[in-house]
Amino acid sequence: MQVPVAAYLPEALALAAALLTFLMDAAGVRQRVVVGSFSVVLYVLALISVLGDLSVAPFSIFATVPKGLIDTGAVGPIQFSSFGLLWQAIFLSASLLVAFASLSEGEGEREVPIFYGLLALATLGTLLVGLSADLIFLLLSVEVTGISTYVLVAYARKDARALEASMKFYLIGALSTAISFFGASLIYGAYGSTALSHLRDLPPSATVGGTQMALVGLGLLTVGLGFKVTAVPFHMWAVDVYDGAPDHVSAYLAAGSKKMGLLAVLVVFAASVSIFREGSAWALYVAFSGLAVVTMTVGNVLALQQRTMKRMLAYSSISQAGYMLIGLAVATPASLAGTTIQAVAHVLMKGGAFLFVAAMASIGVGNRIDDYRGLGHTHPATTASFAILLLSLAGIPLTLGFVGKFYIFASAVQAQGLFIFLAIAGLLNSAVSVFYYARVLRIMYMVEPQTSSQGRWTPAVAHLADPGAGSTPPSAGSSKGANLGRFRAEIQALGLARWSAIVACAALTIILGIYPTPLIDLANNAAAHFLATGP
Amino acid sequence: MNAETFTFIVLALGAVLSGALALLSREIVHTVIFIGGLFADLGAIYFVLSSPFLGLLQLAVYAGAVTILLMFAVMVIKRRIFARESTLGIQVPTLALAVIVGAVLVNVAMDVPNYGPAPSCPAADPYCVGALAQNLFLLNGAWLVLLGFIMLSALVGAVHLAREWRTPSVRRIRED
Amino acid sequence: MSVPLVDILSLSGALFALGIFGVLTRRNFILILISVEVITNAAILNFIAFSFYSPGPAAGGITGQSIAVILVGLAATEVAVGLAIVLALNRLRGTLNVAEAIQLKF
Repeated sequence: MQVPVAAYLPEALALAAALLTFLMDAAGVRQRVVVGSFSVVLYVLALISVLGDLSVAPFSIFATVPKGLIDTGAVGPIQFSSFGLLWQAIFLSASLLVAFASLSEGEGEREVPIFYGLLALATLGTLLVGLSADLIFLLLSVEVTGISTYVLVAYARKDARALEASMKFYLIGALSTAISFFGASLIYGAYGSTALSHLRDLPPSATVGGTQMALVGLGLLTVGLGFKVTAVPFHMWAVDVYDGAPDHVSAYLAAGSKKMGLLAVLVVFAASVSIFREGSAWALYVAFSGLAVVTMTVGNVLALQQRTMKRMLAYSSISQAGYMLIGLAVATPASLAGTTIQAVAHVLMKGGAFLFVAAMASIGVGNRIDDYRGLGHTHPATTASFAILLLSLAGIPLTLGFVGKFYIFASAVQAQGLFIFLAIAGLLNSAVSVFYYARVLRIMYMVEPQTSSQGRWTPAVAHLADPGAGSTPPSAGSSKGANLGRFRAEIQALGLARWSAIVACAALTIILGIYPTPLIDLANNAAAHFLATGP
Repeated sequence: MNAETFTFIVLALGAVLSGALALLSREIVHTVIFIGGLFADLGAIYFVLSSPFLGLLQLAVYAGAVTILLMFAVMVIKRRIFARESTLGIQVPTLALAVIVGAVLVNVAMDVPNYGPAPSCPAADPYCVGALAQNLFLLNGAWLVLLGFIMLSALVGAVHLAREWRTPSVRRIRED
Repeated sequence: MSVPLVDILSLSGALFALGIFGVLTRRNFILILISVEVITNAAILNFIAFSFYSPGPAAGGITGQSIAVILVGLAATEVAVGLAIVLALNRLRGTLNVAEAIQLKF
């Protein structure tokens, strides 16, 4: 069946966002409001189009992909699957979140259009990963995002730490690309083709030998893509990069580009896992189960020891990747649905949390966890949102993080056999993670803010004390008027866009946590089709 | 053993040797020269493997452009950095890991049956360049489009990063 | 084309191992970049080899060489970005030693 050009609307919108932004740069239009809002509008349109293709109720009139094309197999290197489309929606939400919140960043001289343009190109790469039905197409799409994000980390140019992070990110990325392509070459040798649909069957050469080559190829591909997912032991780069990158770029790396790596792994392996299920399946299961357990444990244990907020969030992001890898190890429709839900939750939680860190850094709060003391009293709305996001990361009920984790662990128990141990390891890890999230909560709420004599705090407190008409100290604001003034001051200090992005993340985490049915239905449907008809 | 296989083995030994020398030499300029030798050697190997188009591409892009780019970077940067490798000792565990990886891959190579050669090219197109063009531009055109996106991103990024600053605040940092 | 497949795969395996060794032991940015390029070249060699010895249907064949062409372009692009990052860093600081630039913390 011929693919109509309109089916590529989301990708075309992302490309248009990139090209037109670069043109604006050339034409001298560099105001953040103009350039940023343009990107935001295009992402919203693309998101609506993708949701339309998924037949989500109010948007289904905007569908551009013919129904006959969805979940019916590959057209050349491309495939429209409801699973891929759902993940495209996840990627677009991540980009939208970061682009929108960045509207509150300060005006850079020339960097603004470059930031938005490269973000759009990175988004384009992630969208293409959701379409791919061919190994080379997949790896090249990953590389589109890769190259864009290397530069994105360094885009400020004047920050030596960011440049160092970018250099490290680049080296690891180039290495992972090289290893992935080497693995792909072995797979091409074993199957005589790079179409992912071929990975569902044994290699044609299996009768005369060559399965070993396919296995080694898949193993190298795991290593290469493992770097992108930050699976332990390929995680060393992630913390330094998240730590060194500009805050809102860290938010995108955790929320967007990491999810892309996860989808790439799912697309490659969920197809091939089914062939190894017969016969020598155990090796692959052991490999992925081990990867999942080691990733979440190491991530959690190291997060416990961190003193700075960004490093703590980066390690907790690694452990979250471990939970999501459980879904891959189990490889049933339920577990993949769980991974998808957890991915949605992860975008909201990690995106929102890093944006909160960015917001606090912009008003002069330090990077150490101790610097966050008493924020609950001075910045009530955003701190409450951050607290909700942390609770969701810990997997407390009534949040989306709980729903995702519950789904993943339940699917592991359902699959029986040794997978129960995966669920147990996951539960133990969740329990451990509560400690470090609770510590942050305690510092933000139980501890009184430092007095203004201690340097770093002055700007925030001074700003907040102002609208209380001078007479009311911020900690004693009991009357309604003072509270309202406090919110207004908070919005003013953080910027409306960033403030509302953080609050929206928390609100969505709660809303979807209480009423997750539509999301669960979508994920279940997509995962079932994904395992039945192809990558 | 026929002439082609003999040539291949000689070139292969040369490639491994120049690769090893590149990674072991102390002076970074020598490294770049050896790596240029490795790239040119591989180009010759592609000619032996009857893919002259790729051989030319390898010579032009790798042995030519990439090597010169690396040399250029070394020349620009050299004054201020360690041009020499600071730690040259060969760590045993790393060497063992590399040897194991190599052994596994060679073992895989042994395991692979010598599949029959692919159907040969038509007489009018002895090196399959026409077939390659058809495959690249028609059948797998999507890959080229993706490569275009990658190059766009790289171009914008590289230009942005290499562009000079003008704000005075930056100069102060540089003097530190 | 009559070079046995085993010989070609052994060469690419040796280059891959060499590249991995270089990545793990060297500390200088340019040396690590060169090691990564050696790995990429091993992959390119593999794709060319499998375009001649292909188990699959005729569709296999020449596709390997197409991928090799793409990979050559990709690798050159990557090197250019890497050097741009290094030049930008070099303007700020005088070192290109990866270990010195960023302390690995575990």
